[in-house]
Amino acid sequence: MIEVDNLVKHYRAGDGSVVRAVDGISLAVGPGEMVGLLGANGAGKTTTLRVLATLLAPTAGTARVAGCDVIRDPLGARRRLGYVSATTGVPDRLTAREIMRSYGRLHGMGEGDLDRRIDRLVGVLDLANFADRPAGRLSSGQRQRVSLARALIHDPPTLVLDEPTNALDVVGARDLFGLLESLRAEGRAILLSTHRLHEIERRCDRFVIIHGGRVAGQGTAAELIGPHGSLEQAFFAAIGAGAAP
Amino acid sequence: MSVPDVNRADSDATPLVAAVRSTLAVAAFQLRRLLSWQRLVMAALGAIFPAAVMLAVRRTARLGLDDDLAVLMLYALVPEAVCMLGLLVTMCPVVADELERGTWVHVAVRPGGRRALLLGTYLAAVAWTGAVALLAMLLSLAVMPLPNPLRVAGIFTGLVAISVFGRAALFSLPAVIMPKRALVASVAAALVVEYLAGFLPAVVNQATVSLRLRSLLVAWMTWRQRLPVEMQLLVDPQPPWVQIAAVAALVTVLLTAAAVILEFRQFPPSDEI
Repeated sequence: MIEVDNLVKHYRAGDGSVVRAVDGISLAVGPGEMVGLLGANGAGKTTTLRVLATLLAPTAGTARVAGCDVIRDPLGARRRLGYVSATTGVPDRLTAREIMRSYGRLHGMGEGDLDRRIDRLVGVLDLANFADRPAGRLSSGQRQRVSLARALIHDPPTLVLDEPTNALDVVGARDLFGLLESLRAEGRAILLSTHRLHEIERRCDRFVIIHGGRVAGQGTAAELIGPHGSLEQAFFAAIGAGAAP
Repeated sequence: MSVPDVNRADSDATPLVAAVRSTLAVAAFQLRRLLSWQRLVMAALGAIFPAAVMLAVRRTARLGLDDDLAVLMLYALVPEAVCMLGLLVTMCPVVADELERGTWVHVAVRPGGRRALLLGTYLAAVAWTGAVALLAMLLSLAVMPLPNPLRVAGIFTGLVAISVFGRAALFSLPAVIMPKRALVASVAAALVVEYLAGFLPAVVNQATVSLRLRSLLVAWMTWRQRLPVEMQLLVDPQPPWVQIAAVAALVTVLLTAAAVILEFRQFPPSDEI
């Protein structure tokens, strides 16, 4: 469903130097699978996810979303991808229903389809209590739910989430992962980035650790933890940062 | 929710219908954004400003103001000043606003989202600025009575329409090429393209909206015979339909170029404020 093969993305910095944000990353996420992309700030997580979301063009390598190459068929990839970012970018003056409707129209959805889809998402994502309240008056957790609803409005088979729990408290993060687990159970492929390891240790099927734009390790939690005792220790070992205190 | 089908298209609509729906959705969204009290106060000031100037001139002109001069003042204040200023605040931030609000990524990941953002914002900018300019024109005519005011109002409605459609397309290019400096770049484009190249009696002025507007004003006010020879160099002698077709062609070229550039624009995560 999500395939990244030897992906490279270089930027030219303001001083003319080349920044190798992603330098040969390969990973795959199958249907009904949730994969965690782990890395410190600047490791290349966001760049990798943005290439998948067709927001950035790769310098080399390939990325496919539900079989659609992000360069050869960006429209196909966009139709099959839901994207959630840490900064929800939810317009303050619109309600959750209005936000879903606006973004659904960007997919060319008709009003009948939209009504049915919005009602469905309000039920599944438990938005009923605040669906008609302006987003500016919602909590961080509620705004992230609205952001997830916006990403799912066109019923995409794949979901990419860039540090979705950054602005959430413990309860909000737990609720969000509960929703993601139900979406995984429906057969969606989910790739999410985070640096809050404890939150996802038991949630994801597999993990990919990236460091300096390269894959520093990948596998299931059990495979990665091995002799290290915890995912956090395994992460530090993989990126060569020494053991946690 | 059902298990998603990877081959499912997100809409059963034809591409054209989907494009129209998404463009209108963005236009409605942008118009709603403009309906804040701050923007309404700015719009009210923009609408009152030309009438205030006309009133001040009328009161200070001892021998009364010549009708042709009054029409020229109205032209400078409404299709030129009000339209330019209105479009600078509504069209220029088309991409910068989305980057600042963190909504760019959510629009850009939709099929046709970038094109819809450009064209929807264009329609909203045209509608909003056009409405303010028409109100400004009516208020100005109310304080500065002219012979045959209905005819003058009709002529200026046409000039305002051509000004907003043409200039909004002109400002779309700097807005997508350098979103963070769009306002400065658009002011520079207005000065260099519209008011420098537009007044050069050379081929380059054919690609400006200001030449078309001046030529239409002269043609519709039937001023051509009375125009001094040196002034005739500043207007195009072709009939009005040619001027309108030229602006339509210019709008098509500018918007197509802006849409193509925007489709391939990449913003590193650090570009989002």
